[in-house]
Amino acid sequence: MGEQAQLLPGTLDLLILKAVSLGPRHGYGVLLRIEQISGKALLVEQGALYPALFRLVRQGLLKASWGTSENNRRAKFYELTAAGKKRLKQEEADWKRLVAAMTSVLGAEPEEA
Amino acid sequence: MRFAAYLKSVFENLVGRTRADRELEEELSQHLRARAEELRGSGLNAKEAERRARIEFGSQEKFKEECRKERGGFWLETFWGDVRFGLRMLRKNPGFTAVAVLTLALGIGANTAIFTSINGLMFRTLPIKDPGQFVELLHQYPGEPAYNGFSWDAYQVMRHGDRVFSDLFIGSTMNFGTVRGDNLQPQTVFVGSVGGNFFHLLGVRTAAGRLIGPEDVHAGYHDPVAVVSWSFWKTRFNLDPGIIGKKLVVNDDPPLTIIGVAQRGFYGLSDEQPQDVWWPTSLGPSQGWGSVGLLARLKPGVSIKQARAEMSALFQEAVGQDTSPFMRTMKLRIEPAGNGVTTPLSQMLSTPLTILMATVGLLLLLTCANLAGLLLARGASRQHEMAVRACLGAARARLLRQTLTESLLLSLAGCAVGIFFAYFAAHALVRVFASGRFIMDAPMHFEALTTPDAHVVLFTGAIVLLTGLLCGAVPAMRASNLAPGSALQPGTRIGETKRQRLFGKGLVALQVALSLALVSSAGLFVGYLSHLRNSNLGFKRNHLLLVTLDFAQSGYTAEKLSRLSQELVMRLDAIPGVNSATFSDMSPMEGSGASGFAFARDHPEKRTQTSINYVAPDYFKTYGTPFLAGRDFSAGDQASAPVAIINETAARNCFGNENPIGRHITLSHITLTEGERTYEVIGLVGDAKYNDLQQSAPPTVYADLLQQGFVGSQLAIRTRIDPDGVADAIRQTEGAVLKTVPIVRIMTMNEQIDSSIVPERLIAILSTGFGVLGALLAAIGLYGLLAHTVARRTHEIGVRMALGAAGTDVMRMVLRDAVWMVCAGFAAGAPLAFWGKRIAASLIPDLPVADSRPIVVAAGIMIAIGLLAAYLPARRAMRVDPMVALRYE
Repeated sequence: MGEQAQLLPGTLDLLILKAVSLGPRHGYGVLLRIEQISGKALLVEQGALYPALFRLVRQGLLKASWGTSENNRRAKFYELTAAGKKRLKQEEADWKRLVAAMTSVLGAEPEEA
Repeated sequence: MRFAAYLKSVFENLVGRTRADRELEEELSQHLRARAEELRGSGLNAKEAERRARIEFGSQEKFKEECRKERGGFWLETFWGDVRFGLRMLRKNPGFTAVAVLTLALGIGANTAIFTSINGLMFRTLPIKDPGQFVELLHQYPGEPAYNGFSWDAYQVMRHGDRVFSDLFIGSTMNFGTVRGDNLQPQTVFVGSVGGNFFHLLGVRTAAGRLIGPEDVHAGYHDPVAVVSWSFWKTRFNLDPGIIGKKLVVNDDPPLTIIGVAQRGFYGLSDEQPQDVWWPTSLGPSQGWGSVGLLARLKPGVSIKQARAEMSALFQEAVGQDTSPFMRTMKLRIEPAGNGVTTPLSQMLSTPLTILMATVGLLLLLTCANLAGLLLARGASRQHEMAVRACLGAARARLLRQTLTESLLLSLAGCAVGIFFAYFAAHALVRVFASGRFIMDAPMHFEALTTPDAHVVLFTGAIVLLTGLLCGAVPAMRASNLAPGSALQPGTRIGETKRQRLFGKGLVALQVALSLALVSSAGLFVGYLSHLRNSNLGFKRNHLLLVTLDFAQSGYTAEKLSRLSQELVMRLDAIPGVNSATFSDMSPMEGSGASGFAFARDHPEKRTQTSINYVAPDYFKTYGTPFLAGRDFSAGDQASAPVAIINETAARNCFGNENPIGRHITLSHITLTEGERTYEVIGLVGDAKYNDLQQSAPPTVYADLLQQGFVGSQLAIRTRIDPDGVADAIRQTEGAVLKTVPIVRIMTMNEQIDSSIVPERLIAILSTGFGVLGALLAAIGLYGLLAHTVARRTHEIGVRMALGAAGTDVMRMVLRDAVWMVCAGFAAGAPLAFWGKRIAASLIPDLPVADSRPIVVAAGIMIAIGLLAAYLPARRAMRVDPMVALRYE
């Protein structure tokens, strides 16, 4: 597990939005998708996923509906709403700015004395 | 969109909570199953895969709870839980709940009732254009009510010099009269004559036909027109469009032709006196003082203060031209009128209602302090419960919310019962208002004073919330601040810190302070009322019956009326039980009368303002005013030169110490007749109060009613027996002699006096009620705290007694506590009481504020009930058996 990174606080919502943006998913599917696209580098605590999903639904960023899963079981599917798409775009941009800024800060060389 | 999603989530949560829970369950187990299947794919057996899946997932219950919290309306869910739990707690302690709810109901109910009246009287906005800019102009003599009436000339001066109003225009008179018409039942309604721009400048629209405009004012009386209200149109004409052109007769005036109906909802300028019929004013140049009512609109950006300053200067200019010194004492007032114009009712009630509102405000505060004390004591007995909750993981905020919910529930329940009280109280108040003079004969509409509107709902809602928070805040903080560890240790008695004990005592002291203020102000008002009631009237008030006649439509000539009234008096004299009867133009305490200036003939420089009454023979005998010199009027005077009887003050002012009998006195600027008239003084009588109880007896000149050829509409009958016993005989005799003259009302002099002091009675009665209530609450608070303390200290008391303290020592200990609290209350309450006294004195000019008895008596009362309330707990403490107390626990 050594090569798995802990999630920064507040990034779970962004990950979920991104995962769901690639197509409607049920809860476990979201988890798998995150693991898959991060190359298993990001560890999501399984149980914590659900409160986050509920929060995003309440905020109107996700929409939930019951449907049938790939193995023919009833499952709850999540998809992005219009507001969710907008939020995702914005958070992505914010994140990129932050990463760029952090990278340049961390990449700074000590000044010659 | 986002809000809609939130609402949907709240709705789903609340409506389908069990379904939502089931779905959550299903979703999570779905997850576990999917995970387990995957793990099995990597080679684990079914059981192990399931186990691993569950371990990886973490605590299902914890996450379920977190999901629930994330659902919309979770706060509502817990709130609902708090409410249900709170209700259960209240049901479990019915005694406590009943006392608390009743206490709050009295506080909230009293506030709601008084506020409903004040709101109806003063805060209802008129249905007109820009009510905020709308003002009325009033003139006021020192010490008298203000009145909206000016002279034509003063109006012109002010209009031409005015720079602060966008419009200054003639308003509407406020009269009531009997309206008749084809197929209409006669009905007494409020009516008025209006200026040509009245409707236009108020922005009143038309419901049918057209409204009165400037062109109607010039038409004079040739073809007078009328506009009626929408409600008159609805109730009397059933909204018939054919109303235009119909005739109406108001009293005995020439018929009016209806030209239109005002917009629905427009009722004139006061909702207690909603007008139904308006006609154009016939005012014009040469109109004297009192008849031109003026309204105005402030220019945008002009404050009412500026308007007052500017217009007062103009007004002084207008009045300065008048010769009469009396007129020059008159002041101009400009008052906002967007909430209705000044009426007799609003003048009579605004002061008492303001005082009562302040009083009930104090009462509410007292109620809160009282309940906070009760809740604290109860909180102490629930410490164990709170500690258990804290140990089980309840957050501080949750405990705080739980306790606050309970106190809010209490205040809500108090509100429900209080509204019930307020309903009856408001109606009872209105019955007292309606007994006031100037008001009792008018077709007043008091609905506004008893009907709550949005303001009242807001006000009551606010005080409910406020009381709930005030009562509950400290007990809730204390409950949530508990250190559960120590609270749960077996055998520890949970003590209170010194600060906490002090707070509880402070609450009781606060109650004592507030009730000291309430009781002493009640004493002040009661003292004032009894001072008024017992003031020397100058006539005998008991066994005196007053009958008011209406000559307006008698059809008799003045001579015939005069002859018939004399015959009536003779026949009234003969009724068994009647001592004597008389009639006069006015009766004392009726509230109005003629006045003018009097001076010894040929000495106009020494004139004195005087009241004037026209009275028949036997007036002084009937009223019981003593003759000091000279004689009464007699039938023989009718042929001779004018004669008058004057009272002591008038004699002193006009003649100094000389004997007035046989001297001549001149009256000028008399209200009823213009011009001067000189009388020979034939009698000197004692001073008697005339207009009201508050002022001392004015100088008065009595002229001979029969000699002046007037008829008196005020009969007075002095009886030997209970005055009500002869009322029927009087009615019959009057009907037999004056067949076409109806009796307006019969009342005793005592009733007439009472109707003149409605505001004072209202304040005295209600403040007494509130004072008693306050003292009672403070006593309950004191008792509650001491009883709680004694119960808590039983063990300690046991130890003390075992070590040799006597019962009386213990009792003294408890009583000393009580006395301390009462004394602390005095220290805080005395300044409050003095301050309240100053405010009351600024509202009621001749309040006997120098009298320190009320506050001393109030202090005595508080000590007495304080000791009484402390006695029971003290006795219980004294009877503690050390053996039992020490074995306990």
